[in-house]
Amino acid sequence: MSGNTAEKIFAWLEERLGLEAIYATVLDRKVPKVNWWFTLGSASLFLAVMQGLTGVFLTMYYVPSPDKAYDSIQYIMNGVAFGWLIRGIHHWGASLMVIVVFIHMLRTFFYGAYKYPREITWLTGVFLLLFTLGMGFTGYLLPWNQRAFWATTVGTEIVGTVPFIGDFLLKALRGGTDISAVTLARFFSAHIWILPAGVVLMISVHMYLIIRLGISNIPSDEE
Amino acid sequence: MTKKTSSPNLSRRDFSKIVMAFLGSIMGAIVGIPIIGYIISPALKTQTVDEWVSLGALDGYPIGTPKLFSFTRTKVNGWERTTNSFGVFVLRKSGGELKVLSNVCTHLSCRVKWSDEDSAYLCPCHDAQFAIDGEVIYGPPPHPMYEYEFKVEEGNILIHLTEG
Amino acid sequence: MNEEFKKKYHEKYLAAKQKGVKFWPDIIYKDLIVSFGLFLLLVGLAAFLGVAQEPKADPNDANYIPRPEWYFLFLFEFLKFIPGAIEWVGTAVIPGIGVLILLLLPFIDKNPYRNWKKRKIGVAVMSLIVIGIIGLTVRAVITTPEQEEVALAGSIAEQVIQGQDLYSFWCAECHQPEGEGGEIIGVEGIEDGTLVKSISSIDEMWTRTDETFYNIIDLGQQDLGMPPYGLGYGGELQRSEIEDIVTFMRYTWDERAEIPEDAIIGIPSLAEGEVPSYEVHISIVAKRYCVSCHRPGKENNEYLMQTYEEILTTGDNADKNVIAGDLESYIIVTLHRESIFDASGEEIIGPMPPSKDLKAEYIDMFERWVLAGMPETADEATALSEPIMEDAGDAAPASEPETGTEATPP
Repeated sequence: MSGNTAEKIFAWLEERLGLEAIYATVLDRKVPKVNWWFTLGSASLFLAVMQGLTGVFLTMYYVPSPDKAYDSIQYIMNGVAFGWLIRGIHHWGASLMVIVVFIHMLRTFFYGAYKYPREITWLTGVFLLLFTLGMGFTGYLLPWNQRAFWATTVGTEIVGTVPFIGDFLLKALRGGTDISAVTLARFFSAHIWILPAGVVLMISVHMYLIIRLGISNIPSDEE
Repeated sequence: MTKKTSSPNLSRRDFSKIVMAFLGSIMGAIVGIPIIGYIISPALKTQTVDEWVSLGALDGYPIGTPKLFSFTRTKVNGWERTTNSFGVFVLRKSGGELKVLSNVCTHLSCRVKWSDEDSAYLCPCHDAQFAIDGEVIYGPPPHPMYEYEFKVEEGNILIHLTEG
Repeated sequence: MNEEFKKKYHEKYLAAKQKGVKFWPDIIYKDLIVSFGLFLLLVGLAAFLGVAQEPKADPNDANYIPRPEWYFLFLFEFLKFIPGAIEWVGTAVIPGIGVLILLLLPFIDKNPYRNWKKRKIGVAVMSLIVIGIIGLTVRAVITTPEQEEVALAGSIAEQVIQGQDLYSFWCAECHQPEGEGGEIIGVEGIEDGTLVKSISSIDEMWTRTDETFYNIIDLGQQDLGMPPYGLGYGGELQRSEIEDIVTFMRYTWDERAEIPEDAIIGIPSLAEGEVPSYEVHISIVAKRYCVSCHRPGKENNEYLMQTYEEILTTGDNADKNVIAGDLESYIIVTLHRESIFDASGEEIIGPMPPSKDLKAEYIDMFERWVLAGMPETADEATALSEPIMEDAGDAAPASEPETGTEATPP
């Protein structure tokens, strides 16, 4: 009886959503047998999702202003229940993500998986690596502590050494000649809106291609 | 669709394409150009600085070793008044010669420190060293330390601060 | 890659797929295990290592050694090897080319083979780059000089405690332990008898904001004789340290601010017959009332009081300052506001503390401590204490905190 009801609900949904087709194309497909190194892509995705989740919750208390940023993070760490956990995961997740994404890139390189027909997958992957580093760079300033402030000073100064347009780039990055409230606000914006938008876009393409082309196989000696 | 590129009677489809491209570019330009301007605007409106800053009495500085003098100036960055700190090394030589050097490393703007032990200014970032009068001894900096223009009035040292 | 190769590739891939596994559940199962492992690692890192505390950004602190996040260290280190005149090659050209090659790799690398044995050059180059990156990172970590340590306070209670210590150390010499001010005696650079107004009064607390206090400490009030303490102005205090002092002042002296309970560190009062120890009693009194002057760099006959060792062994009169069981010890005599004279009748030590009596209770504490032979730890002191005869149940706990840090209206 209840089984019958569940079936009916499923059939109703199936008629409208086409779940079986999704299941068949996304999940129920044959792929070559591969080793553990091939788990790093999904691990990167997992970490990205964790970063997204913890990041969303951090913005609930974080205030991107030079007067308040530091204190708001102190509050997250000491005042809010489990704030230390959320921030801890976000903090370590960033480092872990750089490592995992980088090794994932190396795996793809050493197995020659970037070659035909997966050129575009590789291209989006490189963008994802760059975005990950960009997230790291912009996120680093947000706690507004000594380490953050001086690292960003030197980091933006490095951009300033680019010939001809360096000075302009430096000012555009900082939003003025110095690291100020304007810098913090635009780094925050880049960190939580602009770069994540790019990441989501690239992940979508990346995943679509993986499903369309299938995961690469481990190349045999004559391949 | 048959080839009708130069035909005077455009097909419905081609016409739609052209209209779409046209409207799209107009919207793109109207939204895109202001957005670029919006983003880089603070970089284009920077304040210029041109003033004489007093470093106090000349007699207050020791002869032979550089002494750091720090001062702050506020500057408008966007809506905010940012307080910037400046550090200058005042070096009085025994011959009465005077030098006022900026403590900003000419490599990547880290702040250098005077070390009596090495008798050099040391940069903590890329191990650069500058001699007492600002010349590069070691490391990657492309120029000697920046030297401020100065004058002595009624026993006080004044330096010329310019920026922007 | 020509069509024939493409066809061959597809055939091979199809064959591999035939022999392969199902994405669900086989592949996802592995992915899940790895992700779960990473999750555990993350929670573990967050729980056991946490996030290192850092002082608040201070653009004035030129002592801070700038370092980027660890994954950019290799680039940072790399710049050490690029002469400054062609800096842009190291900062823009080489990384730019690197990224470009990485992006366009599938289009540059025309070699149709995938197995590493058939593309040894590419694999070798990549391996070298990776080894280089790791090497540079390691080198950067090794060559980074140690950052100057700053004691950091997280919660308000910690800030108040930290601020109390800093206040006692830097400010109490002139402003007195409770901020009450008064006549200054024996402070280097300031004339004896100079009057300092109270900084803990209602007038002061209700009309000055935290920012005002901050600026006064940071910049000093040179016309009034107060030197700047901020790092940027020739002082020695970091931004966060000054903020701690301000927090301490606000929470301790402003009746409108309620001090967190765990921020009150009182000096435990003594029960009848109890012997004080350095650890529990003397160290706190000394920290609050003595070390402001009895520390290196001050005029104090070289007598330092920052540690147990120092109190017993330093100073020009080290043999007479503290003598076990002797109430003629200089430390006790001067606490009773008597001077010490040398053979020629010249005063060598004045009354202590110079400008004001120490509370009788604390003088008594010092006397009992000297009489008992200066026990260092609480255990030693307990062993020397007279056993309490009365019914212990009714006796007040010996270490009930004395409310020394609470607001004391002047």
